[in-house]
Amino acid sequence: MAKIELQDVCLTFTIRQHRKVTLKEYLLRGLFLQSRNPKVAVHALSHLNLTAHDGERIGVIGHNGAGKSTLLKLLAGVYPPTSGTRLVEGKICSLFDIALGFEHDASGWDNIRYRSYLLGETPKTLKKKVNEIAEFSELGEFLNIPVRYYSSGMLVRLAFSISTAVEPEVLLIDEVLGAGDLAFQIKARERMREMMAAARLMVLVTHEIPTLEQICNRAIWLQHGSVVMDGPPDKVVAAYKASIPGTAPPAAPPPPGAAASVPEPPQPHVGALTAAA
Amino acid sequence: MLQHLKAVWTFRYFWMSLVKMDLRSRYRRSVLGIGWSVLHPLAMSAVFCLVFAEIMRVQGGDAAGYPAQWRWYAAYLLSGMAVWEFIRNSTAIGCQALLANEAYIRQCPLPYGIYPLRTVMGTGIHFVISMTVVVVLVCVLKGAPDALGVLWAVLPVMVLLLFFCWALATLSAFSTVYFHDTAHLVEVGSQLFFFLTPIMYTRDILEKKGIGFLADINPVNLFLELIRTPIVTGQPVEAHLYVQGAVLTAAAVGLAAGTIGWLQKKVIFQL
Repeated sequence: MAKIELQDVCLTFTIRQHRKVTLKEYLLRGLFLQSRNPKVAVHALSHLNLTAHDGERIGVIGHNGAGKSTLLKLLAGVYPPTSGTRLVEGKICSLFDIALGFEHDASGWDNIRYRSYLLGETPKTLKKKVNEIAEFSELGEFLNIPVRYYSSGMLVRLAFSISTAVEPEVLLIDEVLGAGDLAFQIKARERMREMMAAARLMVLVTHEIPTLEQICNRAIWLQHGSVVMDGPPDKVVAAYKASIPGTAPPAAPPPPGAAASVPEPPQPHVGALTAAA
Repeated sequence: MLQHLKAVWTFRYFWMSLVKMDLRSRYRRSVLGIGWSVLHPLAMSAVFCLVFAEIMRVQGGDAAGYPAQWRWYAAYLLSGMAVWEFIRNSTAIGCQALLANEAYIRQCPLPYGIYPLRTVMGTGIHFVISMTVVVVLVCVLKGAPDALGVLWAVLPVMVLLLFFCWALATLSAFSTVYFHDTAHLVEVGSQLFFFLTPIMYTRDILEKKGIGFLADINPVNLFLELIRTPIVTGQPVEAHLYVQGAVLTAAAVGLAAGTIGWLQKKVIFQL
């Protein structure tokens, strides 16, 4: 049974302005002298509470730098919380920066294997799934060439096929679906719906509001590391849109004749913002 | 700790497939392929032999059982170099273990022991190949299969050495994350260490200068004694040295495990 429980979770990054810490810097600090590379505390997540159970599909929205990806990484177990408790039960599968975790000189087939093993599969269980993964990705002959030659959309297809084929109980997706083409996006949504039918837990970070409205049954709005609103997607999305200056107010649906002649822009959310500007 | 080991075992297919991929990519466009692992120690030792045995006329060591002084020296040098190369490469390449695998660390929280393990299994496979070549060559040089007869004492030490090198790789990987200078220090340090360790010369030379203790406190020398001496002489060494080897390995592994336990929640923030 999948479960997420975050109680009063805080995550603070202590970073330095310049990446490398030289021996000189280290000694200076020890001598209490003024440092030219001081530490800066970044409070990525503040006092976050989140509880989720099977069958929930959570969409996370917020401004850039709100802490959405950090939240996902915390859920995946990549970042330990600075304070508070994190409890995630179930097999976790994460789809973050899509180019990460691919061995660039290996072929598509090899990468299917590596990524599956990374997600806990064994050669035996993988044998049955390999062809299904290859079919879902629709990459065909491209699977034989090294992954370094793939476009980002192809990488998304491959990564998504693998991640969903391993039957995770908790699926964490970070804004990667946008790279896939329209046909793939439809396919991906369909597969996610199938997974949800099997009562799995999904957390999705996206800037595409239509995607969120179609797939998710719960939305969370993050702002500066805290949850501002948590509830049904339509309410949260409306509040989020209302908070952004310059968003066009919801217009009355155009008459059928006009709609047919105007092609739908691929990203209506972005279009709405720029149209009003 | 046990949980850590269990997790390493659970993900065995993952890191094993990466090790295989590392090996393949190392010799991807090469004609000889893995043959270079065989040729490299041979070529290096041939050059050293020529220089030190013939040109500089290194004497010493008990060349009993060998038809010629230079044959003993070749056996001595080859086996010493194989062990040294393994330790040196594990530490040097191990420095990059966490930095090179940053992509995996940021996606999936796997036990940190896996990344140095990937490095050490790669260098370990080269070590095994070198040792096979060395054992065969020593038998040829000596004209007697003594080296084969003593393998029962050498193989367990090779396993110990694997754990020891894993510990070294782990320690250098973690310190490189915090101090990137570590990689350079390791490079320079291993050069110095090479000359302070009786690999190209025998221990007597240190004894004669009164600094024999340097060889005694040298952990690399301990493994050289445990692996090189049986192969060259065909006899296992004293039991207390094996005990020392086991204790040293246990201490190193303990230190590495402790470092992982201490830093595993913190290192992600430094990458």
